[in-house]
Amino acid sequence: MRKILRKTYSVCPVCLKRIPADHVALGNKIYLEKSCPEHGSFSTIIWHGLRDLESWRGNLPEIAEGENENCPHACGLCPEHQQDTCCVLLEVTKRCNLRCTFCFAQGGDGEDIPFATVRSHLFALADPGKTLVQLSGGEPTVRDDLPQIVAAAKEAGCQYVQLNTNGIRLAQDQEFVKELAQAGLSFVFMQFDGTNDDIYRRLRGQDLFALKKQAIEHCALFNLGVTLVPTLVPGVNTDEIGNLIRFAVAHAPAVRGVHFQPVSYFGRIPALPSEAERFTLDQLLAAIEAQAGELVPQDSILPSRCDHPLCGFHGDYIVMNDKTLYPLRRKEENCCCQPTTAEQNRAFVARRWQRPQAEAALSSDQENPSLAGDEIETLEGFLRRIRSHSFTLTAMAFQDAGNLDLERLRRCSLHVFANGRFVPFCAYYLTKQG
Amino acid sequence: MAAEDRKWKCWQCNQELVKQQVLFTYLGHTFSHDLPTCPKCRRVFIPKELADGAIAEVEEQLEDK
Repeated sequence: MRKILRKTYSVCPVCLKRIPADHVALGNKIYLEKSCPEHGSFSTIIWHGLRDLESWRGNLPEIAEGENENCPHACGLCPEHQQDTCCVLLEVTKRCNLRCTFCFAQGGDGEDIPFATVRSHLFALADPGKTLVQLSGGEPTVRDDLPQIVAAAKEAGCQYVQLNTNGIRLAQDQEFVKELAQAGLSFVFMQFDGTNDDIYRRLRGQDLFALKKQAIEHCALFNLGVTLVPTLVPGVNTDEIGNLIRFAVAHAPAVRGVHFQPVSYFGRIPALPSEAERFTLDQLLAAIEAQAGELVPQDSILPSRCDHPLCGFHGDYIVMNDKTLYPLRRKEENCCCQPTTAEQNRAFVARRWQRPQAEAALSSDQENPSLAGDEIETLEGFLRRIRSHSFTLTAMAFQDAGNLDLERLRRCSLHVFANGRFVPFCAYYLTKQG
Repeated sequence: MAAEDRKWKCWQCNQELVKQQVLFTYLGHTFSHDLPTCPKCRRVFIPKELADGAIAEVEEQLEDK
């Protein structure tokens, strides 16, 4: 039984022309179907029916006739874009010290952006006292002057400076980590695909697990919070989700959470994806339930409200001394939530991903058995614990030319700064397939 | 001396307030704090520093963005 559930717009994966698209139910599964007059019809799985799509999405409207007609080709925020900038991504190099199977940025042998150019970009993008900038690449840590770039970001007025990294140099060069921390780095997003080297060999081409652990240790020495960022690839590490969460909890408070990224097929990809090669958001939710069990109550994971609900989720917790997660929010308390602003979201993620000042961390990191369990039942105990041991489970389901849904794209709050414009992430990295 | 450590009287009952454990509930979470309380009518005195400080921070931490 085939049923059209919703109208939207997408692009032809071959020529990237904007075309109408439908959400179509076939049994329990939901597909994005579209036809290009020149290149034919395309169908991509977007939901497996493991959760109720309508209640997950809430009451966001469809794209109406005449709305967002220049999307995504005029991207560089237009008046019709429905969300402000939460985080700005700035590429500081094309070089990389890995050759991953999957890479949105196609990092490799490229060049560094000259320091003076990076500095001028930072001053152009910064909204003093507000901006959260992600230094990205390539692999930013191949640059010896990265601490100077961090300092320039702070000088420009960026409130938070995030480093997106594979962690190799952070593991091998403790002095470099110290310099980054002293320059004002706020927190680290570290590629972290699993807890065994078979996964790293398959996705990244070499053994990396020991290095990842070393990088976390070095960041902990200088009070830099680390969020683990796995790229989830079916058949490689989608059975590793529970282990990733348990590893992260075990390494809290140095590790601040896990940010899951189901694989997207843009940039450097091995091949065009079959249905089995996609990992949808509801598959991820079901996998967390199956693999993490009681550690993660299912009603503690809520749809994104800053970006589109189909773009991700967040769960907000405190890590207790016995390595359980105390959920701060449950679904029933949030049934009527409205979309949040990019500014609210930025304040939230930064509060969770950044570790408190060293003095506060020192006093709260000491695991005091007498405070176990019931310490968060007093106002002071709760605040002490949440400042030091907050923890998030988040996800970002990036879109590619196959599953791009402009209803989602127009709510994107993660923007790449390029050529003086803020471009939604999935529009910037959109790559022709085939 | 902190406001909550001073001697206070309940304006209605004319009773001296005594420190007692008070429970605060917000968004499904309950916290305790010792505060001056009237032994007769059970009214609680919440010092401004607590309202603007710890209570406001707990609210911010619990509110979903």
